[in-house]
Amino acid sequence: MNMRCTKARRYLSQAMDEQLPPAVTRQLDEHLDACRECRDFREDLALGRRLLGATEPSLSGNFDWRLQLKLNQALQKAAGETAYPWLEEKPRGRGWAGNFTTAAAFGLAAVLALAMFIGPQGRVMPDDAGRYAGFETSRQVAGGVSDRLPLNRGALAPLSAPRGIQRSVSGSFGLGDFSPNAAFVLDSGWSGNHLKDLATIQELKLRNQRLNNQLYQYQQQISILRRQLDRPDSNGLDLGR
Amino acid sequence: MNPSRDEHRHGSPSAARFDLVETRDEDLIVMVQDGNRKAFDELAARYKNRLFSFILRMVKEPVLAEELTQETLIRVYIHAGKYREIAKFSTWVFTIATNLVRNKMRQRSRRPQLLSLNPAPADDEIPLDPADPVADPSEEIQRRELALVINEATAAIPEKYRIPFLLREVEQLSYEEIQQVTGLKLGTVRSRINRARNRFRQLIKPLLKDETLLAELEMIEARVAEQKDNPS
Repeated sequence: MNMRCTKARRYLSQAMDEQLPPAVTRQLDEHLDACRECRDFREDLALGRRLLGATEPSLSGNFDWRLQLKLNQALQKAAGETAYPWLEEKPRGRGWAGNFTTAAAFGLAAVLALAMFIGPQGRVMPDDAGRYAGFETSRQVAGGVSDRLPLNRGALAPLSAPRGIQRSVSGSFGLGDFSPNAAFVLDSGWSGNHLKDLATIQELKLRNQRLNNQLYQYQQQISILRRQLDRPDSNGLDLGR
Repeated sequence: MNPSRDEHRHGSPSAARFDLVETRDEDLIVMVQDGNRKAFDELAARYKNRLFSFILRMVKEPVLAEELTQETLIRVYIHAGKYREIAKFSTWVFTIATNLVRNKMRQRSRRPQLLSLNPAPADDEIPLDPADPVADPSEEIQRRELALVINEATAAIPEKYRIPFLLREVEQLSYEEIQQVTGLKLGTVRSRINRARNRFRQLIKPLLKDETLLAELEMIEARVAEQKDNPS
């Protein structure tokens, strides 16, 4: 009996899982033949395993439907988040890093806005009739979308310009190349009127919401079509042609 | 049976004979990735008891264990796309379960529960446990009492030893799979299982000499074997 009991007991655990090399297994067997305590130890370990196996808990009877219910809720939540991204819950406890990022983003946005509006506005000059030609048409910027607000008082001269001059900025918030249909184009821009602009923002939000709803519906249709394709008896899609 | 993803998508004639029960876990999860809910139901049926058994022995509370089992299965469905067949499906599932259990235990250790202040669970939170019409009630009570003692003993094993121990003894994962689930080295897995077994033996030692318990154990094992032979 060359092997010590401490070593033999360590090997016993591995022997239970058939993890020991044959040579060591032989040595262990020799030790067990000669050592009653280690044989008892082995029996205890085996009994422990049997006890664990015999006392497996069972699930409650309503587990399955509760699972289906929770899964449906989770899927609905996931779908809702896709459709209405702005309704997502704000992460809590972002700490100073989050606040700092927000503050920095606001600061940067303010600087950019100033840079955008002050520069070009400052160059608007009245024509011979004292009219501000830039405001009569539209303040087109690159890409065709004019969403700039005249911020500095100097550039707000049209406010005091004759009434006949249309001050509205006729930029469009359309979908550009993505919109095949003119109905999608929102033909309004910043008016300079606070309430009116808020209404525009509201309308844009609604449009965004509708588009997201449409997107969600398309996603649903895709998933239905995919399910049709998955069906064993499916022979491809009937596209109605 | 090892159907390709294209077969599922395009519904080849062989797919008509497809039998989910005989399909490998790894093929089922590929079907779940394509949005097949029945494949998910089959996976849930295969794993719910194993997961519950493992989780209950980790957290000790049946209601919480059921919740975490459901959460694990929901994550399997929602994150099915993240599964890659570089590991066995069972390894992936138990990794999710282990992480959930660890998080929950960490939360509990930070915020120890005060039993007197906890509201009673709502009716719909208490899992119904309908009586098994076949089982002998006295035998069932014995089994439950024994299970209670064993669960107490299991819960007394330190967490870091208990996870590999249960994955091995209850879930019968291989050492390599346990290594993947826990992220431990193989030698560490081996030594932790060994330590947990020794600790478990110490904890249940008073029971081991009890003749009645051994008789009960044999009866339970016989009944379990009978149920396996005749599932109806």
